[in-house]
Amino acid sequence: MKQGILAILVTLALGLAACGSSDSNDTSGSSTTSGTPGKGKPAVTLGTKNFTEQFVLGQLYKQALEAKGFTVALKQNIGSTEIADKALRSGQIDLYPEYIGIFNTAVAGDNKAYATVQDAFAAGKSYATKHGFTLLPLTPFTDVDALAVLPAYAQKHNLASVADLAAIKGLRLGAPPEFRQRETGLVGLARVYGIKDVKFSPLTIGLQYQALDDGKIDTADVFTTDGQLQGGKYVVLKDPKNVFGFQNVTPVVSAKVLAAEGAAFQQTLNAVSAKLTTPAMQQMNAAVAIDKQSPADVAQKFLKANGLV
Amino acid sequence: MDAEGRERMSDFTDAFRFIGEHLSLLGRLTLDHLALSGAAVGVALALALPLGVWLGHIRRGSFVAINASNIGRALPSLALISIGVAVLGIGFLNVMVALVVLAFPIVLTNAYVAVEGVDRDLVDAANGMGMTPTEVLWRVELPLALPLIFAGIRTAVVYVIATATLASIAGGHGLGDIIVDQATYRLPGVLGAAICVALLALAAELVFAGVQRAVTPRGLRIDRAWGYVEEERTKAV
Amino acid sequence: MSQAPVIPDFGRGSTCERENGTFCLDWVGKHWHDKLGPALLQHLLLTGIALGVGFAIAFMLALAAHRRGWLATPVVLATGLLYTIPSLALFQLLVPLTGLSRVTAEIALVSYTLLILFRNVLTGLAGVPAEVRDAANGMGLTARQLLWRVELPLALPAIVAGLRIATVTVISLATVAAFVVNEGLGVPILEGLQLTFNTEMIAAGALAVALALAADGLLVLLQRALTPWTRKGVSA
Repeated sequence: MKQGILAILVTLALGLAACGSSDSNDTSGSSTTSGTPGKGKPAVTLGTKNFTEQFVLGQLYKQALEAKGFTVALKQNIGSTEIADKALRSGQIDLYPEYIGIFNTAVAGDNKAYATVQDAFAAGKSYATKHGFTLLPLTPFTDVDALAVLPAYAQKHNLASVADLAAIKGLRLGAPPEFRQRETGLVGLARVYGIKDVKFSPLTIGLQYQALDDGKIDTADVFTTDGQLQGGKYVVLKDPKNVFGFQNVTPVVSAKVLAAEGAAFQQTLNAVSAKLTTPAMQQMNAAVAIDKQSPADVAQKFLKANGLV
Repeated sequence: MDAEGRERMSDFTDAFRFIGEHLSLLGRLTLDHLALSGAAVGVALALALPLGVWLGHIRRGSFVAINASNIGRALPSLALISIGVAVLGIGFLNVMVALVVLAFPIVLTNAYVAVEGVDRDLVDAANGMGMTPTEVLWRVELPLALPLIFAGIRTAVVYVIATATLASIAGGHGLGDIIVDQATYRLPGVLGAAICVALLALAAELVFAGVQRAVTPRGLRIDRAWGYVEEERTKAV
Repeated sequence: MSQAPVIPDFGRGSTCERENGTFCLDWVGKHWHDKLGPALLQHLLLTGIALGVGFAIAFMLALAAHRRGWLATPVVLATGLLYTIPSLALFQLLVPLTGLSRVTAEIALVSYTLLILFRNVLTGLAGVPAEVRDAANGMGLTARQLLWRVELPLALPAIVAGLRIATVTVISLATVAAFVVNEGLGVPILEGLQLTFNTEMIAAGALAVALALAADGLLVLLQRALTPWTRKGVSA
């Protein structure tokens, strides 16, 4: 009898495994649109990187696709660009939203500073095509790195632009670890603005605001569409020499998957991208970061308001 | 081996190459890692050892002392470090506090069980010989309790070393810095650091197992694969 | 088609949420169904599979070692080695092999259960007094009957004690799986960390602790039910 109970326990555990679905799926709204061109097309896996805006983007694309009948599995919070790129190349994901500047530098290894975002996009596209991927059209919004300081600090040191930071000795800068090596990071700052005397604190994305508030760092690497920047609590320094480049979003898709999913797949994604302006993105990020709404709800509301679900 | 298999193996060979090429970086981070771990274990020992030994000596507080490690084991270290960030902010001190909280119950329970579990007859005999309670503690209870106390220290050390890996998400410094930063160090770096931290934990385990063995009075040593005392080994996170 | 988008009102968070108070019960209520609840279920699933598979493997190994004593040392060394590897390190080492998937998480979690379960099953079996074995043999029981009708029931306290430790350990470690697969209670913890949102971290952390304590309690009851002849539970 005892062994029977043990056997039941083991079977129960294994049975739970059988019932489990393959990947985690967030709840998404049901679609009420007419056409469902996605029905019957193979399932796609959409990946997102490790911060809030990516979660929102993931939900936006996922829900819009599902409204058109596509089957989308969401692999959220994969990690940084390097991890997402590896996942894409190894087929673990089929697409993910990338920033064109980061794509060029981190994925294509191309550190050229382009004059316009269209040039950057063209360069990225040619690399992608050579390697079996496609870059879909850019979003209107750009989310570049920026350096933010507390208002009191800005006043004290008379800071308006990043160039003003060069004068500060032993500047304590907090940023995600990858910032240290990037052209759109410490490397570019040193080369272009001469900011060399820096005490660097690697911080998980999201912690830099707390570190700023606690006075642990003088300046933090922030993203210009961060929700936390709404409300004027921080002073964002200008980047006159455009070290931080262009960072409009482009969905990076495997060329094979794109062909298999058909034209409606691209059109759906592009329709969503076209609506993502900087104010829209900022407000969505703020809703998540400040009002603590869930990315899925925020995406649902936005898509509904714009007739995309 | 197919192309994908070869790529995976090359990731691991690259990991060893990374270790070879970055010895000074890894060495510095290992020292940071040990410094953080050592500080946390030190504080936990200073707080929990006297308390556990004393409670065991006066045979009081058994419910708390014994269940402390059960509760401690149930605390997810990731949650504790994250909440520590929220409450205390980032930085060495704050991460250390989280590690102390995690190590404290282990040391407390083991110290209590060790001293309380000393054979009552021996204690009575010592009392009968005219020893004061303090003498009984220092000359009878503690020596006999040492193996289990050191089992607790060993468990706490390995546990803290392993958890300090996670601390890198909260601004702690150590080998975890590389593991959470695949963007900079790429996969070979992450694998290399993971191998290093695994070796570090294993080395600590072996060293303290040796220490534990050394402090076990010869009469108590029994050769068994997993040691004489059935200590509760808390999982190294 | 670059019309300006309509930006709807996303709803204002409560004062507690906006100010990042210590614990906002209203947030928990609002987001139980989409964040905490699913995470809890995923966590249960991760834990259940790990314990089931881990127990099956450890049990078979222990039976083998019970028969062939020399197996004990190498198995303890191997499982002890796995047990000592810090979880984040083990997860990352598995990713190149099995990807960012539930399989990776399960392999790591299973390897952490093996030492405790193996050790306790074997100790339990070894702890059966010789006289009892002799009596059973004298009664004519076969080796198989001896195992299933005498040794295992007597070993149950030790086995369940090992299960208790393994369960609590796995529940705690499954939070780290969030670094590799977006499942389990580690997800809201990391999300809360990123937004520095106390409530999410505390709620998820508290759920993990509650889950561990509940599982531990259930196993104690289970053991009492299965071994009515013991007066109180034996700790490993």
